[in-house]
Amino acid sequence: MIIWSMKNLRLTLSAAASIAFLGACGDNSDTKTTSDSDVAAPFASTYLPQPSETTLITNARIIDGTGQEIENASLLITDGKISAIGNNVTGDATLTIDANGRYVTPGIIDIHSHLGNYPTPSVRAHADGNEVTSPITSEVWAEHGVWPQDPGFDEALQGGVTTLHILPGSANLFGGRGVTLRNVASRSVQGMKFPDAPYTLKMACGENPKRVYGQKGGPGSRMGNVAGYRKNWIKAQDYQKKRAKGGDDFKRDLQLETLADVLDGKILVQMHCYRADEMVQILDIAKEFDYKVTTFHHAVEAYKIGDILKDNDTCAAMWADWHGFKMEAYDGILENVPFVHAAGACAMIHSDDQNNIQRLNQEVAKTWANGNRAGLNISKAEAWKWLSTNPATALGILDETGTLEVGKRADVVLWSADPFTTYARPEKVFIDGALHFDKESGLKPKSDFRLGYGEIK
Amino acid sequence: MSVFKTLTATLLLCAIAMPAPAQDYFISNAKLVTNTVDGIVKDADILIRNGKVAQIGSGLVAPADVELIKADGKWVTPGIIAPFSQLGLVDVSAEDTTNDITSEYSHTSISELASDSFNPKAVSIANTRRRGITHAVVSPRAAGESIFGGTGLVANLSGEFDSIEKEQAFIYIQLGGSGTDLSGGSRASTFRQLRGAIDDASAYPARFKGPEDGDTLSRQDAAALVKAIRGQIPLLIASDRASELLKIIELKTAYRKLDIIVLGAAEAWKVADQLAKAEIKVMVDPHDNLPANFDRVESRLDNVILLDKAGVNYAITNAGALGVSKPITLTQHAGNAVGNGLDWNKAFTAITQTPAEWFGLENTQVSTGRTATLVVWDGDPLEVTSAPTMMLIDGKRQSLKSRQTALRDRYSPTREDTRPHKYR
Repeated sequence: MIIWSMKNLRLTLSAAASIAFLGACGDNSDTKTTSDSDVAAPFASTYLPQPSETTLITNARIIDGTGQEIENASLLITDGKISAIGNNVTGDATLTIDANGRYVTPGIIDIHSHLGNYPTPSVRAHADGNEVTSPITSEVWAEHGVWPQDPGFDEALQGGVTTLHILPGSANLFGGRGVTLRNVASRSVQGMKFPDAPYTLKMACGENPKRVYGQKGGPGSRMGNVAGYRKNWIKAQDYQKKRAKGGDDFKRDLQLETLADVLDGKILVQMHCYRADEMVQILDIAKEFDYKVTTFHHAVEAYKIGDILKDNDTCAAMWADWHGFKMEAYDGILENVPFVHAAGACAMIHSDDQNNIQRLNQEVAKTWANGNRAGLNISKAEAWKWLSTNPATALGILDETGTLEVGKRADVVLWSADPFTTYARPEKVFIDGALHFDKESGLKPKSDFRLGYGEIK
Repeated sequence: MSVFKTLTATLLLCAIAMPAPAQDYFISNAKLVTNTVDGIVKDADILIRNGKVAQIGSGLVAPADVELIKADGKWVTPGIIAPFSQLGLVDVSAEDTTNDITSEYSHTSISELASDSFNPKAVSIANTRRRGITHAVVSPRAAGESIFGGTGLVANLSGEFDSIEKEQAFIYIQLGGSGTDLSGGSRASTFRQLRGAIDDASAYPARFKGPEDGDTLSRQDAAALVKAIRGQIPLLIASDRASELLKIIELKTAYRKLDIIVLGAAEAWKVADQLAKAEIKVMVDPHDNLPANFDRVESRLDNVILLDKAGVNYAITNAGALGVSKPITLTQHAGNAVGNGLDWNKAFTAITQTPAEWFGLENTQVSTGRTATLVVWDGDPLEVTSAPTMMLIDGKRQSLKSRQTALRDRYSPTREDTRPHKYR
């Protein structure tokens, strides 16, 4: 049973204030408006942390996400935030957990998921992730297709995923806005939205748009893809100017609003792109129109251009071993993530899959081992960045989560064993300091969908 | 063309005339998984002569004339067998001209042999081999208007032209929600087609005065099903829903000779006792835990553990193994069964000895006198961080290089080379 305390009430007020952009977050200089009207942003986050105890985890081996691994360490959680971490932590906790030498890590962040918008059961009625009606659909938002009862959210939580980013699919050149969610039980998607996380724009390169639209008016080639991006960035630049000028003649355009917000640096570009040469072309388009590509997703050939990604400050989100299923994935290797990391670029793992999201630690363990086998010397603590730190960077939420540092949200996983082994499982998963999954007590969420089906006799 | 043909013929002759010589090896100090009653033998020394295991013992002295492989306490195991894959049937799944997994526009089904499509030189074979998989069950899938996908094969992954070990190893059948699309629209129609086909094959050749005389099958397809009706090769039936599994048990009761392997079997735990009693084998994926569709609403992570308790004969697969990249994760799937509570030896058997027995493969045990098919690992083979360091198939040493390692080596950040990549 949840008892709503004064603390939560205060959070409610604070959240409400920030929703209305009244500067409640203490940053008055930055007006976070994404439209020109003064009304509150629609579909604002209503997420509130669950009540949490002052929790002290002792005797842990902590991988903190900054590249450090600390033995015999403790972690103190106060008011849902990390209040102390290290070898000499003391504090009056109402709940003390002896980790008994087990691993403690940040909660995992999956930057590429379709949970909720391609949920299970994957029946036709549930396919809400891709607005396959036009190659330009920057007006659609992934969150409007997210079903919070997707059982996949519950299973991902048990795999240690505390934050995830839901994207539109990759049929379109401009697929629409992505949304960053807390992996929490909620009746609405608004109740899962990561407060104040930047919106993102899904874009797609290569085979998918030209295959889907080749017989439907185009694009029908990679040439058409590039022309499609450029034509619409030109429109967005024009819209951006008109919007800045304002006046009675100005009319909102949902499609161009999202693109103009990218040009204003408010929305982060998350781009599906496999081939190295194609990523390099996209980076040129970003220079032409003065925007930034935050992350290339899938990026199966990122290992060929690690240096270029580094120079452009663009991240790559990758699989450990998926390859070969289409021509642009033919050159996939098992060392992609560590090779990009070794080049000094921002590398991370992603799932794009309702099963792999349940064991992203294993996906990292695989690719980490393969990288070291190929001659690199990357520590586990360093490789952990691929699971939480770098995804947090690429989603613009690193100041809130992604590492175990004082002041951050206490998104924490206690593991049964070294998370780089196949046999390890999350035992406790905390989100904002509140226990959301506990193997010991059997605490776990259960989707409405799963009610009413028989149990084992 | 004639020059080309001559050249090809010459190359083929060379390949036939000069088989790789079986070498002699001494593998020292291994943690040896035998897949025999001896179980796991620690500190094992293994002498291999002329491709056969000549001696297994502890503290043996390496003969001077053999290559010494120091295992240093690391694992040596029989080769892993991918119990369900499309290896060699496809280069790039999304490119139709490279993809022979299904025959959408064909009017035949069972009589189509995957062995006619199989290409041992597909790069996915070497990519898969280097991850410890020595053999694969290679299955076509159903398409068009038939629940029958055709006749599958079993091959070793040496990549040699003669690597098929069984050309007609099993018949693939698609039931469940996917099967209804192929048979007329309902589960009733899939079972009508299945029973009709079995009846046709049982009545072959008497029923067939002309090529189209069967209730369900053409003469050609009925003839191709006869081996399975006699129980000489298994029927590999994709099915998940518990109520459908009970219908399969009914079928087995009516046609006792049928050797049935159910692929998927996500809800098998609900009818585990019945499956065990009916001696129906199941091939399950220990990662399945989502209600991916209405055939598997009651999927659960411990399916394989409940089947084990009920005494069901099971193998472990990665059911999503449609793409060429997926078979390499088989050891991970078995490892996760262990992580969820299955005994390590049982999980390992489920990706080696069990499918070997089902599909009639030999040399999946390491014991004196047998031809050596084994893998030396740098760690526990069920750990995602482990990989093979050496492999023998039928006594012959296998390359652990592939197109992927070539790309890796060309672009490795450890490489100090300023030439354009195409020259590296």
